[in-house]
Amino acid sequence: MESLNLKLLEVCSRCGACYHICPSCLNLEGYDPRAVIKDILAGTYEKWLHHKSIWQCLECHHCLEICFQHYGFENAMAAMRTVASKKGLATSQVKRGWDMFIKTSRLGEPMASARKKLNLPEAAKSGAEDFKKLVKIYQEKKKSGVKRNES
Amino acid sequence: MKDFTIFWGCTIQTRFPFLEKSTRMVLEGFNLPYRDLDGFTCCPEKSLVNNIDHGLWVLTAARNIALLDKAGVDLVSPCTGCVSNLATVNSELHANHKEKDKVNSLLNEIGLEFKGSNKLRHLVPFFHDEVGIPAIKNKIVKPFNGMRIAIHYGCHMIRPSHALKNDDPLDPKKFDNLIRAMGAESVQYMTKLLCCGQGLDRVDQHENALHFARIKLRELKALKVDAMALCCPSCYLQFDNNQFLMEKEGEKFGIPILYFTELLGLAMGYKPEDLGVDSHRIEATNFLEKWNRLNCELSRTTELNRQLEEGFGIAQP
Repeated sequence: MESLNLKLLEVCSRCGACYHICPSCLNLEGYDPRAVIKDILAGTYEKWLHHKSIWQCLECHHCLEICFQHYGFENAMAAMRTVASKKGLATSQVKRGWDMFIKTSRLGEPMASARKKLNLPEAAKSGAEDFKKLVKIYQEKKKSGVKRNES
Repeated sequence: MKDFTIFWGCTIQTRFPFLEKSTRMVLEGFNLPYRDLDGFTCCPEKSLVNNIDHGLWVLTAARNIALLDKAGVDLVSPCTGCVSNLATVNSELHANHKEKDKVNSLLNEIGLEFKGSNKLRHLVPFFHDEVGIPAIKNKIVKPFNGMRIAIHYGCHMIRPSHALKNDDPLDPKKFDNLIRAMGAESVQYMTKLLCCGQGLDRVDQHENALHFARIKLRELKALKVDAMALCCPSCYLQFDNNQFLMEKEGEKFGIPILYFTELLGLAMGYKPEDLGVDSHRIEATNFLEKWNRLNCELSRTTELNRQLEEGFGIAQP
């Protein structure tokens, strides 16, 4: 996500129509996205970065679909996860998944022996090499962009 | 029909190659023009990559889509997450030309260009819209008449709808139509559109993931359905593997989880073991036995009607 739209979030903080359809609001005790949103608007969101709640948004997009602003609180939760990750507060599985993605371009490799047993053709080649090149270019551009902004 | 490639994604090829098997078998059974394409990476997984680096999430998906532009083929995927992620980035870049230019300036350095000019579709709506119900009915030799099947759509088959545009995001029908075309009853139930909750397993909240699986499985057990049908490897993991774990802890559900391609393959007459149905953690034995029995009855009834027609000359509608 690039940035949050605080005007839309302000409406979110007073609406809550999606509470009747959000799977986590309905089924996980203590899950209350509006509490997070109110703290984001007040600038006092720090405590949520350490909280399990921000990882409980399932990104099912139900809130987005029924939201009359077509926004939904999923954006606020994703923003909290991004900031938490930047501060090294992502859960250990998220960190492991990210490392594997960056190193291999995938979240696992095809199982050659099982494929043979099932009589499946050899798996198509992955784009790992091109991907690594692209990530390098991307990260260099990002770094030089940050430096430009700082100067 | 335009040529298309299958985007298998990481989970199917890493953990459930038998789901690739049944998908290939039904595609070949319908003689559909698909081919494998080299060079794909992870779609990438939104809840992982987008949370950490939005720019890289967009760029990686755009690179996968650019491979389609280069090859001139559409994309079909038996994974809801993959299609949803790719379609979301596709729609974001079509709506934001500045971002598209930025992405293309990077992709150009590895000899690619994002145009986003090919269709990105999930396998279920693809079968519904492109293959079509009449052609599917023509291929069915062993229908599921009398079987009660509960569909789990999987959130990302239908949402976000602005990007996927393939069914009603809050009241989808296409998967239901396909299950009915195979002769089964699509059992309607309260938690039908509830998210599977597997995402919680990926953020170190296993107990909460089980909690979600339990809600749906308990309702389906009470309704005495014969099976759950789905077409997403993540949802499959949640309901097959986590059901197995809960059964080991003592709560019995006994609900086999069948992939769309497995059901279609069975109805087309392929053997369960060839389709990989015997690779599941929750056995489908009861489902298969009931289905075989009902089909024997069905063929006996058909035979009886044939004899009645011959004997009395009654024209059957």
